[in-house]
Amino acid sequence: VRWVLLLPLAACAAGGGAPAARVHLVEMREMAFHPETLTVHPGDTVVWVNKDIVPHSATASSGSATWDTGNLAQAATGRYVAQQPGTIDYTCTLHPLMQATLIIKE
Amino acid sequence: MLHAVLLAAAFVVQGSAPAPKPAPAPDLSDPEVAHVAVTANAIDIDLAKYALTRTRNAEVRQFANTMITDHSAVNQQAAALAGRLGVTPADNQVSQSLLAGAAQARGSLESLRGAAFDRAYLDREIGYHQAVLDAIDGLLVPTTDNAELKKLLTDVRPAIAAHLAHAKQLRGNLGSQTGSR
Repeated sequence: VRWVLLLPLAACAAGGGAPAARVHLVEMREMAFHPETLTVHPGDTVVWVNKDIVPHSATASSGSATWDTGNLAQAATGRYVAQQPGTIDYTCTLHPLMQATLIIKE
Repeated sequence: MLHAVLLAAAFVVQGSAPAPKPAPAPDLSDPEVAHVAVTANAIDIDLAKYALTRTRNAEVRQFANTMITDHSAVNQQAAALAGRLGVTPADNQVSQSLLAGAAQARGSLESLRGAAFDRAYLDREIGYHQAVLDAIDGLLVPTTDNAELKKLLTDVRPAIAAHLAHAKQLRGNLGSQTGSR
């Protein structure tokens, strides 16, 4: 439920006139990211939660952004606050066939 | 059917040992089945660690590390299940057979070097994971009544399928020669 708690914090961080930052949940489930493509805005928080028995990571593999949640055990979560606009491919370092895309746009 | 399901979990963590056949499960007691799982896990970790000392291929190393990580996680689930069922591991013929098979498999790998080693290791992994999938789909899931055990199998299956796909991809990158050449 950690991602739920992030919601008001993210909203506060967005500032007065700017759109409220959102929290987006991505499930690591059945050896895939769900959703496989996610579009967010700068300041939004992406939270990955591992629903599988085996560990997973969400690790940027393209673009200027670099993030790595590290290995997340079953039920663990990792997060990334979206920054510069762009398209970022990411993968699970343990299971390179798990691939997904994060689109950050103004 | 409890025995068959736990044996499947044991085979899952066995790693590169000879591919299991979906034959009828041996008539083992629950403590013996638990021992099989623990033994298979130890075999898998040891063999994967051995592979890491032999291969210089970065992708094969990554694969071996993933096998250690994933099958350890699966084994933790199997151990937790055994714990809930109050099972204390007891040595048995299946465990001994697994150990003998692992020693034989390791012996065959010891004679190989470089890319030949990598191919043989991946060939073994492909055959093994395919056999486990066949056993899960064709025998274990259809005949398991216990909802918790069925869920364990269902939860494990995607990881096994992903391992198989991963191994096939890497094997394809290494060319068409068989591992023994």
